[in-house]
Amino acid sequence: MTSLPDRHDRRAEPVPRPAIAWRVSMPRITSAAQFLPYILFCGAILAVPSFVSDPFLLNKFARYLALGLAAAALALSWGYCGILNLGQGVGFGLGAYAMAMHLKLKTSPVHTGSAGLPDFMVWNNLDHLPWFWQPFHSGLFALAAAVLLPALVAALLGWFMFRARIAGVYVAIITLAMLAVTNLVFVDQQAYTGGLNGITDLAWFEMGGVEFDPYSPAFYYLSAGSLAFFLMLGMVFTRSKAGLVLRAIRGGTDRVLFFGYDMASYQCLAFSLSAGMSGVAGMLYAMVLEFASPTFMGVPLSLSMVIWAAVGGRGSLLGATVGAILVNGTQGSLSEAFLNSWQLILGALFILVVVFLPNGLAGLVHNLGARLSGRLRGMAADRAPSALLNRR
Amino acid sequence: MAYLELQGLEVSFDGFKAVNGLDLSIERGELRCLLGANGAGKSTTLDLICGRTQPTGGRILLDGRDITQDPEYRRSRLGVGRKFQVPSVFKELSIRENLEIARSRHPEPWRTLCVFPSRRPSPRVAEVVEIVGLEDALDTQAAHLSHGQTQWLEIAMLLVQDSALILMDEPTAGMTVQETGKTSAIFQRLRGRHTLIVVEHDMGFVREVAETITVLHQGRRLSEGPIQAIENDPKVREAYLGSGGISHA
Repeated sequence: MTSLPDRHDRRAEPVPRPAIAWRVSMPRITSAAQFLPYILFCGAILAVPSFVSDPFLLNKFARYLALGLAAAALALSWGYCGILNLGQGVGFGLGAYAMAMHLKLKTSPVHTGSAGLPDFMVWNNLDHLPWFWQPFHSGLFALAAAVLLPALVAALLGWFMFRARIAGVYVAIITLAMLAVTNLVFVDQQAYTGGLNGITDLAWFEMGGVEFDPYSPAFYYLSAGSLAFFLMLGMVFTRSKAGLVLRAIRGGTDRVLFFGYDMASYQCLAFSLSAGMSGVAGMLYAMVLEFASPTFMGVPLSLSMVIWAAVGGRGSLLGATVGAILVNGTQGSLSEAFLNSWQLILGALFILVVVFLPNGLAGLVHNLGARLSGRLRGMAADRAPSALLNRR
Repeated sequence: MAYLELQGLEVSFDGFKAVNGLDLSIERGELRCLLGANGAGKSTTLDLICGRTQPTGGRILLDGRDITQDPEYRRSRLGVGRKFQVPSVFKELSIRENLEIARSRHPEPWRTLCVFPSRRPSPRVAEVVEIVGLEDALDTQAAHLSHGQTQWLEIAMLLVQDSALILMDEPTAGMTVQETGKTSAIFQRLRGRHTLIVVEHDMGFVREVAETITVLHQGRRLSEGPIQAIENDPKVREAYLGSGGISHA
């Protein structure tokens, strides 16, 4: 996607061959350099509670991290595999509702008495808990469902799309339609989903004797830990050969088929992995806000995720994550400072980024880094006698 | 039974029969050249064998197995490799990465998920890049290669893929005389170990490498045999070499 400046140089002036020593050692430097920002970032977010003790700030940061995970999930399918999923909210929403159902069942006796039926079901004249709500009494089941359900739905949709060789803008349209349909179903099935209100008044999640109060450091660690885990997992996935095949497919060619790679199953894999990640993001989001609502599956939120990923850099999981955190943070502080005009300011910032930084902030950092290392390499090459020998 | 058999193969594009009842059988280890004028159905035949185009009639048997309905990737797993007329490589990837994709003995997702390509090329890849002369450019993005180099990269990818049956569509297009010579040397090495079907216009190259030539005309087999027999066949002269009606058309 991005072409390093030194590649252009090499092409324009092909005569001086790089010195052998550099050809051998450079790759190791680059691969360590690729992992380093991820390690630094994960270390940084995990260290936050040692400096911040204000519960409201911790809660806010935990929310940003959940949204960062959603943006990373989008970058995985869009940036690495060329699948622009405008319906990222489907996975996000399913994850959120799966967790909300569990947390609702934990509270309901408080709100509705001994029947143990969630309040909105009582208002909708249900007299017993629907069968598909039953297993959500188990926290483990809810956790599993929040990841697997979005992944399964995505795999199914992906199977139909990618078998039929649908690509590009048509994928965007289909996923957007999927989002609208899912949203409508959740709004419509009021007796089972709480309709427009969603599922509110949730309990705190509890696992292994730890209670995750959304304003506590424990919850922050859950959020940051999940983000760190999935960033690393995504990083490993993109470095694997499967990730390489997906990057080959991203170029828009079916050439991989003639090397024996079943293109559709690779796309399905990436699409459902991304959906599973957004499921986790949605789950955390429902926990931090203490409700789940159909707006999680609304078009505005899913399109916002696209903007976060574009601002941060869709070609980088970390870039998209940072993009989401920055945009949401800016949004928060701008809306406090400029009550009426903050959306204008934010919009102008988006336009500037998209026009001047097509690869987002990550692209900017990458280019600066490449320029810097190119300069360092140039200096070292001037000093190394072997390099001089190679330059006829 | 021959290694590859095409039986009454037929495909029509909007009523135009690009391949029209083609029968062809190729033995294991053979190097077969396909000749024919533009539109004779040479590239379409290769497309039909590798699965890019679905036939509207007839059968394709590979090693006795009917592969007519198999999708491209499955045919590739059964040993069909293809070089395209317009060199077709992954432009966004480096040469190293292109060759890693070509190394596809285990192409299933659950296998590739557990593989982490090492920066050091495998002995086979190292050997192949040496042959095609790309060993100094392993980290160059394929988009930055010249046309000739892209041809070499695709040939290298096929060598790495190591398919039993290799379909080559105009491998020497855009190559210098020296490069064509090098290509023919590579083909001589592949002969016997691989079965090759080559579509080529460069008659010098064809003379150098081909044992048996099949001449296609309007989607059918017009003539088949060694080069001298083909050159002296009056039907071929009329249809392709242009001493008859076709040159006046």
